[in-house]
Parts: sequence; C-alpha cells; structure tokens
Amino acid sequence: MNLHYPVLCFITTESSCPPMQAEKTLKGGAHMIQLRHKSASGSELYRWSVDIKRLCERYNAIFIVNDRLDIALAADADGVHLGQEDFPPDMARKMLGKGKILGVSVSSVSEARSAEQSGADYIGLGHIFSTTSKQKSGKPIGPGRIPEIVDNVSIPVIAIGGITEKNTCEVMRRGASGIAVISAIAESPNPETATAGLIKNMQSCLQ
Amino acid sequence: MIPAEKALPRLYMVSDGQEHFGRKQYLPELVRRITSHIPVIVQLREKHLTAKALYELSLKINGHIHDKRSLLIINERFDIALATGADGVHIPESGCPLDRVIVGFQGLVTGKSTHSLQAALSAEASGADYLIFGPIFETPEKIPYGPPMGLNKLAEVCANTSIPVYAIGGISPEKTRQCIENGAYGVAAMSIFHASDSLNNTLERFQKALGQ
Repeated sequence: MNLHYPVLCFITTESSCPPMQAEKTLKGGAHMIQLRHKSASGSELYRWSVDIKRLCERYNAIFIVNDRLDIALAADADGVHLGQEDFPPDMARKMLGKGKILGVSVSSVSEARSAEQSGADYIGLGHIFSTTSKQKSGKPIGPGRIPEIVDNVSIPVIAIGGITEKNTCEVMRRGASGIAVISAIAESPNPETATAGLIKNMQSCLQ
Repeated sequence: MIPAEKALPRLYMVSDGQEHFGRKQYLPELVRRITSHIPVIVQLREKHLTAKALYELSLKINGHIHDKRSLLIINERFDIALATGADGVHIPESGCPLDRVIVGFQGLVTGKSTHSLQAALSAEASGADYLIFGPIFETPEKIPYGPPMGLNKLAEVCANTSIPVYAIGGISPEKTRQCIENGAYGVAAMSIFHASDSLNNTLERFQKALGQ
C-alpha cells in the first residue's frame, strides 16, 4: 500500500457510527481513514474495521487503525497509527511487515527522529492548533514548528490538531505533506463537501 | 495452540486490573511468588493500561515466571502477547473474533471467556485451546456477567466440549473440588490471589484440592 501526498486523513469520532462517518468523507474524496475509538469492544472494532476496509477499497483509499495493532492485523487493515503511549513502533513494524503503513504521532524533533528510525512511513505532528476533538494536554505547538520537524526527518509529516479549511494553506506552505482532521469534517453539517473543500484548499495552495 | 510438552496448569489467576493504581512491581512480584509455588496460568488483564505500559508489564512478568510449566496469557491484545513472548492470548466474550486471532498466529495458546453453552460450543468450533466458563458461584466483585450459573451449567458445558474448561466466579480452594467433580479441568480466580495475606496457605489448599 502506498500513500500519495498530499493526503487528507479523516479520523473517526466516538459520537456516531464510524463506518457511516467514513462513507461520507470518502464520498468527498478523503484519501485515508483512521479508525479511532477508545471505548469500543474488540468485536465492535473488528466489525467496523471490516466495513471501513471494504468502503476504502471501493473508494481507493487507505484504512488504518489507531492504537489497536491486534485489530489492524485481524482485519487486515492497510496499517496502524500509534501514539507515544501505544505499542512500540519498532515492534509494530516487525509485526506488520514492510507492505503495511505505520504512522506515529509526535510533537517534537526527537520523537519525530525516533519514529523515523522505528520504521514509520509518516508522522502525525500535533497538535498544531488548539482542538476540542481530543483531550490534549499542553499547548498547541503552532504551525511555526512544522518546518523544524520537516527538516529533521525524511518521511512525510501530516499536520493534526485544529486544522480547518482556513488554516490548511498555512500548514501546507510550511511543509506538511497532508492534514489529519476530525472536527472539520465530523462536525460539519455536510461532511462530504467539507472533505472536498479541505482537499481543494490543500492542493491549490501548493500550486 | 498448546505446545506438546506443556500440559495446561489447572490453576488460573486473572490479574485484578489495578496495576495502574500506584502499585508498580506488585504484579511481577505476586506472579513470582505464585509460580514458584504451583504451576499456574497468569492472565494479564489490565484494561486501563496504555498499550505501551501493558507491553512493558508483560515483558517484566514474563521474566518473573521461573517455573516452565506456568503460562503467561494476555487479555485480548494478541499483538502484545506475540511481541513480548507471552504464551497466549485470552479473548473476552466481546473481543475480536477468535478465528481471526488464530489465523496466522498459531503459536499462541488461545482461550475464550464464555457465559453460555452456545458460546462455549462456538468457541471450541473456532479453535479455542481452552475455555473459561462462569460465573459459577456468587462473586464479591459483582462481575457484570449476570447471576451465578451454578455447577449444573458447568457440568453441561464440560460434557459437551472436549477442550479444558476453567470454572470462574466465586472460586475458593473449598469449592474447587466440586468444580472438578462436575467436569472442570481447572479453576480460575481473581480476588483470592490479590486479597490474601496468607497466599502460601491459599496456594497449598488449591494444590490439595486440584490434586497437584
């Protein structure tokens, strides 16, 4: 599985059925879906994974699972996205093999370098702006930090945290290879058009 | 898959999910004490830990099991079981489908929690190596699996399956004999290992009841 950049990744919320959310954003052109649900049971996660994977195949998009490498393996997802408190990325890379996608969340240069050394395909850098979607401690790192991270790793950097249609251009111009969003799509009255709008902004400001 | 040289121990300890409450080192030490006394299956069930913390704890506990007959089983996270060299994985009733876990990960002993005959039959058909069935008796923990099912249900499940069945729920050394007489291969418990000031005494009583 190869990721094509710039990439728009939609991360599911816990507020409604993840496959339904995925379908709406895929219709708008999302390139990647990350199933993130901290309170669901293993059987629910597996069932959703199978459904979202099928949807992603239909829309030629990539499907990855947040944190739960076990579910990613069981459902044969395209990959897994790991936070700093999740499964060790170097072990995850060994278990996934080379053909799968490994993403790692970072918020500093040292974490970014370590993720790259562990075999990550991309890093999720954040949170860039303040966000209500996740219970994040600490201040946003700000878009000004993006170039520093981009200059210190050779893998793509995907910006996450408070990304909207308005600030997409700013993060892309500072070197991000894509954006990962929750609220900008999930909280939109029309997730499909919100997705298309974000992608359009992301691509047009790079030209 | 159960390694040919490894018969499953008949005593099964489930961790109490409290490793994160400031009791670092508690579980590894408890596991060391128990496994140096009697062969036991240790199920690491610490649902509040992050995957990273669970990974580290599993590695540590694995290093504290000196007795080769004892097994370390990880609740649900077969990725962590594989990565840390644990012996197996235990899938809760609401876990990832067992056949998906077994496909491609055949090196692990795979167990399943069941609360009905139907679930037990289905788990065996999916390839489970052993079952945990219960609750058999009243439990102090009030585990949310409904009222006790009693020894008759246990006997029914054991008679209709051919893999080892561990009885769980309100298990004590005194009640162990009844479970075995009703067909259980062994017994599983949680609080009795953790609450006990007289762990050695408890283990000796279990040992006697299990004929080990």
